[in-house]
Amino acid sequence: MNRQPRALLSVLLLGLIAFMGWRWWSDQQPADELGTEIVFSDASTRGGIVTSSLRSEPRSFNRWVDRNFPTDLISHLTQAKLIRVNRATQEVEAALAESWTASPDNLTFTITLREAAWSDGTPFTSADVLFTFQAIYDPKVNSVFTGALQVNGQPLVATAPDARTVVIRYPAPFGPGIALLDNLIIAPKHKLAAALAAGTFAQAWGVATPVNEMVSLGPFVLSRYEPGQRLTFDRHPQYWKKDAAGVALPYLDQVVLEVVPDQEAELVRLRSGQIDMLQQQVRPEDVATLRPLVDEGKLKLLELGVGTDPDLFFFNLRPRQWAKDPRGSWMSRREFRQAISHAVDREAFANTVYLGAGVPIWGPVTPGNQKWFSPNVPRYGFSVDKAKALLTGLGLANRDQDEWLEDDKGTEARFTVLTFRGNSSLERSSAVLRDDLRQVGIAVDVVALEQGALIERMLKGDFDAIFFVLTLTSLDPAMSPDFWLSSGSGHVWNIGQATPATEWEKQIDDLIHTMMATSDQAARKQAFDQVQKIFAEHLPAIYFVAPRMYIGVSSRVGSLTPTILRPQLLWAADAITVRSGGSPGQAGR
Amino acid sequence: MGRYLLRRLGFALFLVLAVSSASLLLTRLAPGDLATEQALSLDPAALVRLRGELGLDRPLTAQYLSWLGGVLQLDFGRSLLYGRPVSDLIGERALNTAMLALAALMLATIVGLPLGVYSGSRSRGVGRAIVRALSVVALSVPPLIGSLALVFLAARTGWLPVGGMTSASGAELTWAQWLADLARHLPVPALALALPLAATLERLQSQAIAKATREPFVAASRARGLDSVQAILRHAWPASLPSVLGLYGVMIGSLFSGSFVVEVVTAWPGLGRLMYDALKARDLYLVAGCAASGAFFLAAGTWLADVLLALTDPRVRSEEVV
Repeated sequence: MNRQPRALLSVLLLGLIAFMGWRWWSDQQPADELGTEIVFSDASTRGGIVTSSLRSEPRSFNRWVDRNFPTDLISHLTQAKLIRVNRATQEVEAALAESWTASPDNLTFTITLREAAWSDGTPFTSADVLFTFQAIYDPKVNSVFTGALQVNGQPLVATAPDARTVVIRYPAPFGPGIALLDNLIIAPKHKLAAALAAGTFAQAWGVATPVNEMVSLGPFVLSRYEPGQRLTFDRHPQYWKKDAAGVALPYLDQVVLEVVPDQEAELVRLRSGQIDMLQQQVRPEDVATLRPLVDEGKLKLLELGVGTDPDLFFFNLRPRQWAKDPRGSWMSRREFRQAISHAVDREAFANTVYLGAGVPIWGPVTPGNQKWFSPNVPRYGFSVDKAKALLTGLGLANRDQDEWLEDDKGTEARFTVLTFRGNSSLERSSAVLRDDLRQVGIAVDVVALEQGALIERMLKGDFDAIFFVLTLTSLDPAMSPDFWLSSGSGHVWNIGQATPATEWEKQIDDLIHTMMATSDQAARKQAFDQVQKIFAEHLPAIYFVAPRMYIGVSSRVGSLTPTILRPQLLWAADAITVRSGGSPGQAGR
Repeated sequence: MGRYLLRRLGFALFLVLAVSSASLLLTRLAPGDLATEQALSLDPAALVRLRGELGLDRPLTAQYLSWLGGVLQLDFGRSLLYGRPVSDLIGERALNTAMLALAALMLATIVGLPLGVYSGSRSRGVGRAIVRALSVVALSVPPLIGSLALVFLAARTGWLPVGGMTSASGAELTWAQWLADLARHLPVPALALALPLAATLERLQSQAIAKATREPFVAASRARGLDSVQAILRHAWPASLPSVLGLYGVMIGSLFSGSFVVEVVTAWPGLGRLMYDALKARDLYLVAGCAASGAFFLAAGTWLADVLLALTDPRVRSEEVV
């Protein structure tokens, strides 16, 4: 052995010894000397700071024109609605509306507003409500709520007999009733009227707007925005809400959102106690790494339940796509989709994609949506034999002794699945699908595309099949008609049909219209159960597994009401408490 | 010298224009646009209105020519994503990136060059082997892993903040306190950027020194009675500099145009992250603006390296510069 390799070996050995020594030394240090230990106190107190991570920055503070998550989260902290749908119970509860009455035909709601004030001291009145409707329906604003605040394509009509009363008339009966107003985030007339008059409402409250020019009606006020770094929210001193003991909410002095774009770095910060919570679920592969902190009592891992927006796999069902394609005779058939559903082992799928933290599902509504989930739908249990039998019935057989099936004209049973690049769950799911379908002789080519490119292909109908994630805006199907109705922009397998292309889509349209029009909850549920049954029979989209969702939060944070919908914790930020004052980073120092 | 500088300036302007134009055109030609992600939640009429408002419905040539007209007046347009002038966004982030880049460059230079001189001037020994081994490790570790390892180390020890540029309490700090706070946040991202650069410099400097020490004029200086350290510092090192300085141009360009991976992992609000967000959202003008700033820094870095080369090497001055 000459000297150089020996020296290199010595260096590596010294490095290893130094690393092990450092690990040993680190483990010997009392936790408080590490500066990352969280100080606990038994009493929940008013005050304190909660720090959360946020993966991306807001593009705008104008929630009326921007639907992205950071803007939505900021809106939850700083804005308010007349009523809100409690995300935990799915029940309607009063917010700025102190009380309301409904007319016997359920078309008119008379709402009494509570006394409240914007953060600059200006009183909140019915003029703000009317202004909000005016802004949302203004075509120049192009508000993201225009469609959501319509019934049968017609706007609601709001009038204000006095400063504390608003009368809202629906153009037609609407099943969810006043819950529709969960989409109405009140805009400040005294701040934004000039912008609306000038036609610049959509550009108002951009990220360059000085924070003191924006006012809040929610529990917190945006007090500081450091682009690329963080947003700081202070308590709204005149917030209207009080707890049962009459203590003014919110309990917290401050909420800080730290912009941490990288998921790994975000977890490191959570583990070291430098942030209190995340704004998205913990990935299944990260659950095990957080367990030791849970065991030590530093962290809580809250199970939110079964996800309500599972990944979906669907074929292109536009008739013109298959008119000249030789595969059309079998690929657009219901039996082909049923064969695929039979061919996938959902238990193995859950283990591979979600490391066991998932449940098999048979349709778009998962057990996580307890109010609307129907277990009584056709299920296609894992059976390679049944899948093969269905494929044989379609005329697909192995005619050339290779791995794949062919039809009677020799066309191979092969299709391409598009999916999002960088979405690990979808990429893994596509791989599982490819492997499972190989066993029944179907060849799958997986192509991962950037989000924009994939959606462009979907809109143009330029695809065979897509593995996709679609986030519905509400758990109530009547509030997500774009997905269910054949004319909808979210009816992804055949978007925006002028008239229903198939009889079963017409049946679903009729049932959805029925459940949208009636306020009888039992009748609505019955109609939607039927929708789920038809959907599962025809499988326009195939669902395999819904993940169980977990979220990590520091043990010092209390009074949480976790929900499956984002933001899972900060949707009720006014009730959150911390067990010790100060920010998490300061707590143990 | 003046003519040379003008020629380089002209090339720099051409580079900036070509790179930003190509970025804009390629981003525009790629499938999808900023409005696409809203397509599943907006009705078709609203989508058309949105595309119209963003100017995405205009023909490619009209869009490009109007952008080019603005650029000639130093107006890079408004970001579709943030609704703000691109130059304002880049200005804010460029300053942050410049601070980080400067710190990383200084650190890489202070560490890499002396170690390179040391290892290059020795033909064997444990010290040389250690330096070489460390350089190989620093060069082999991908930036993502290196950044994450440093973030993990910072979190585990609690010695340094794990990310961000300043603390949340920054608003209440005096200037001196703010600088001290910034200095606490700099080491993790600066080290993540500097370590592979220091290793590159060490390797390059080491080879250059080893070659220079074999030159006759170095042997002659030893014969004149200089000791080995003086011979290296006075004669071998200056002779080795041209090859090292050539690398500085590229280093400055890449550092000052923002390192996406390091900025994302350490949550440093710089140009790299801005460019990434712009690309993800297909914000044409912001992508073009970020690409222009990257090209500008690359051109400026190369120019600076050329000037330094000319100053240190008389042969370059006589052949090219004059």
